[in-house]
Amino acid sequence: ALALVARSAPSTPPDIAAKVSESIKKAEEACAGENTEGECAAAWDEVEELSAAASHARDKLKENDPLENYCKDNPETDECRTYED
Amino acid sequence: PAAGKAHLLGFHQKQLILFTSERRAAARRSSSSSFEVSCEAKTVVIGLAADSGCGKSTFMRRLTSVFGGAAEPPRGGNPDSNTLISDVTTVICLDDYHSLDRTGRKEKGVTALDPRANNFDLMYEQVKAIKDGKAIEKPIYNHVTGLLDPPELIQPPKILVIEGLHPMYDARVRDLLDFSIYLDISNDVKFAWKIQRDMAERGHSLESIKASIQARKPDFDAYIDPQKKYADAVIEVLPTQLIPGDNEGKVLRVRLIMKEGLKYFKPVYLFDEGSTINWIPCGRKLTCSYPGIKFFYGPDSYFSNEVSLLEMDGQFDRLEELIYVESHLSNLSTKFYGEVTQQLLKHSDFPGSNNGTGLFQTIVGLKIRDLYEQLIAETAATPAEAAKV
Repeated sequence: ALALVARSAPSTPPDIAAKVSESIKKAEEACAGENTEGECAAAWDEVEELSAAASHARDKLKENDPLENYCKDNPETDECRTYED
Repeated sequence: PAAGKAHLLGFHQKQLILFTSERRAAARRSSSSSFEVSCEAKTVVIGLAADSGCGKSTFMRRLTSVFGGAAEPPRGGNPDSNTLISDVTTVICLDDYHSLDRTGRKEKGVTALDPRANNFDLMYEQVKAIKDGKAIEKPIYNHVTGLLDPPELIQPPKILVIEGLHPMYDARVRDLLDFSIYLDISNDVKFAWKIQRDMAERGHSLESIKASIQARKPDFDAYIDPQKKYADAVIEVLPTQLIPGDNEGKVLRVRLIMKEGLKYFKPVYLFDEGSTINWIPCGRKLTCSYPGIKFFYGPDSYFSNEVSLLEMDGQFDRLEELIYVESHLSNLSTKFYGEVTQQLLKHSDFPGSNNGTGLFQTIVGLKIRDLYEQLIAETAATPAEAAKV
């Protein structure tokens, strides 16, 4: 069910998606050695920050309605005109 | 009005009734104009603390909606700005006060949760300036690049909301807050929410999500979590107790903890103020589907503060349930019957609209509107004193 939900939702912009997966790899490397607590935490914190940014970017895309966008620029066209009364 | 009163004496009863209604309308007009004048004088400052990915942005959208109008990023500015501006509220993200950018934190081996990565002096100076009615040039932390971008101009709004990891960490900033809220998400729920958020992301797995939460936890416990003892309202989000062993994070038990004895904030109560009440609204009057809804209300103590606690476990399926619950809550600070339900319905697509997170966030939004109106009314009533401040 989780995979289905993921497929129907807009996907992350590729540049941010690449940054997320790269940061995960780096975090795993940073935590591999010994006595690396600070570096390890900072690296996973970067993962969290980028994951949050990716999620916000997806939300923005979700709000992007093609008709609404068109109507912002063309309010006088037939498909966009609205009357108060 | 004084001249009107003299006239009234000679008026017939019928006309007098007409006249009073007119006077009432005039009073309403004058109160709305004094509202505008006094707003220029002082900004009300609200602090919202929560961890990353714990629903701050949903809360902010609910809060700005209570005041009407949509919140948008500053027009024509940096597209990666974290600020949201609406007619009444301006929301700034405290990440903008990072003293170390992403590279700087990595070099020093500190997380964004660490106070050493944040500039509390600048945070204090700028929040104080806004409160004194002065515009500021606030830095922008770019979450995509991890760099500090050139600053943006922020004008003093009627209500300033500072949201982020550390709104109550520094005592000077804390003292500037007129109201403070802490969103307390339990570890199980945090994990479930981050799975929902990140599982589809390339590179992420259960292990990476778990590792990220674990690695940040020591700093979270040391620097973020202790702030909740200063909060005027805490919203705790826990796994449900209605389904044994459930920790999927779909059904939630949400607790609204409200400080007693504050001047402008009167806690919400269920049925009878100060009593301890367990309430299952499902029965003859209301049909609930599995696992039902359960409320608790009662006095409690929170970090040695006297508080009122309102808890909801379960989720709503239909509108009738919402309005039925709302009609049994008091001190909601609504302007009309059903306003809480209306607000929730307006944003039925937001996460949490069918459970206690949406309900309590909306209630806190209404309480903040009430607090703001009281503060403004008081400033208007004592103009001389306000001028001195």
